[in-house]
Amino acid sequence: MRLENVWLRYHRRGSWVLRGVDVQIGPGEVAVVLGRNGVGKSTLLQVAAGVLRPGRGRVVDRPARVGWVPERFPADQPFTVSRYLTGMARVAGLGRSAADEAVTTWTQRLGLGAFSSVRLPELSKGTAQKVGLAQAMLRRPGLLVLDEPWEGLDAATRDLVPGLIDEVLAAGGTVLVSDHRGETVRLPAARRWAVAAGSLTEETAPTDEAVAVVEVAVPAARVASTVARLRAEGHQILRVRADASTTAPQAHPSAPSSPSALDQPEGADAVEQAAGEAR
Amino acid sequence: MSALVRMRLAGFLRTGRALAPLLAGLVVLGTLYGGGRAQPAEAYGVSAVVLFPVLAWQTKILLDIEPDVQRRLAQVTVGVARERLAGLLAAVVAALVAVAVALVFPWLVGGVTGPVEPGDRSVPVGIALGLWAHLLAVPAAVALGALASRASAGGAAYGVAVLALGGVGAVVLGLSGSVAPWLAPPIMATARTTAGDAAALTLLGLTLWGLAWSAAAVGGYLWRRRAQG
Repeated sequence: MRLENVWLRYHRRGSWVLRGVDVQIGPGEVAVVLGRNGVGKSTLLQVAAGVLRPGRGRVVDRPARVGWVPERFPADQPFTVSRYLTGMARVAGLGRSAADEAVTTWTQRLGLGAFSSVRLPELSKGTAQKVGLAQAMLRRPGLLVLDEPWEGLDAATRDLVPGLIDEVLAAGGTVLVSDHRGETVRLPAARRWAVAAGSLTEETAPTDEAVAVVEVAVPAARVASTVARLRAEGHQILRVRADASTTAPQAHPSAPSSPSALDQPEGADAVEQAAGEAR
Repeated sequence: MSALVRMRLAGFLRTGRALAPLLAGLVVLGTLYGGGRAQPAEAYGVSAVVLFPVLAWQTKILLDIEPDVQRRLAQVTVGVARERLAGLLAAVVAALVAVAVALVFPWLVGGVTGPVEPGDRSVPVGIALGLWAHLLAVPAAVALGALASRASAGGAAYGVAVLALGGVGAVVLGLSGSVAPWLAPPIMATARTTAGDAAALTLLGLTLWGLAWSAAAVGGYLWRRRAQG
């Protein structure tokens, strides 16, 4: 997805909030949007999500499925949590049974099960924010846009957010996150976009650090999740191979003796898939 | 998109705010039919006139109930065009329910009568003309209500002003001898036609006029939505 020379202002004679933003992000990448209050972080995210239309410039190659978690979930609606999420799943194009399944999955994962029959206006801010998170994930998004996703969440749910981001990235999606609480330290692999005075600059990480290669053996069934987690932690995945039994024990005598990928035929596909993603 | 239409209608009904235009509609219909009996075509023509501002108000309420951020969430999920269209379709469905009530109401309160003199229209013809008059008012009322909605008009005061000017303007500009009848939807001309000689060409012309006015108003609504972001 690319933002090409994007300018935006809210009123015809108002000042420009975004000024000639040019930026590109690809599948499997996450970017954190940083900046002081009022510099245009949310505006940039809403342009990327398709909520706002640029006054000048354009957004190209935006993924078809976009999940947007607004900074404040609109809880002033006459629905229960379950009915709202089911409605949004149907709006997103899921069939009746798929919608019910998705709602059940995400209410459980986000700890919303006890609130299923509670009306949205009666929810606390943090619980309402979880509903906002759930509606964005009901149908796996190709682009997930999170505007201050940690705001108001309890510690347990805050810990869940990086995992959700990893899932989107592992499926080839793109994630944009804004944060002013410093929570994005949980996303060390993220690109860092700094917004100031309407312009965007990318903060680059130092590249002159010495690097070492560590070989790790994992059960085949966990290859994809491990690759995603290591990527999210900032590690570079060089390759994934299915012959760990020939080299791993020699290189790492203390490596766990869990079954290797070769010992689990059902894991061969996962290894192959992860290897393809690593390439 | 039908899921979004259903969700918006559900929101409209669940808030209870649907009661206000419903009660207003019943009051104006009760006032209209409380004064005596009339033949269906003539009665329905006036009914469409008095319902026009009520349907526009109902549309504004329906569109305004949804929080702005929820409307944007819907836009992200289904796209800009479908989000706009879903709102208008939900308003049309709600308006058609009101029209059904308006068509049945006079029969319940004894406000209409059959042919009295030779040459009077039959009841089925009168009902058909009444249905046409109401259906012609629906797109115009929905378009006016959409123009007056928060997402289009911006501030609440602008929305009320658009609604009031549109409602009053439709009556004033539609009076016989108006200098600019084409600026308003043809609800007054429709009422005159149902009460008088309803020639086929006249009906066709009024239908085209009503649809053209509605299309222009919907175009204005879409342009305002685009300008509002």
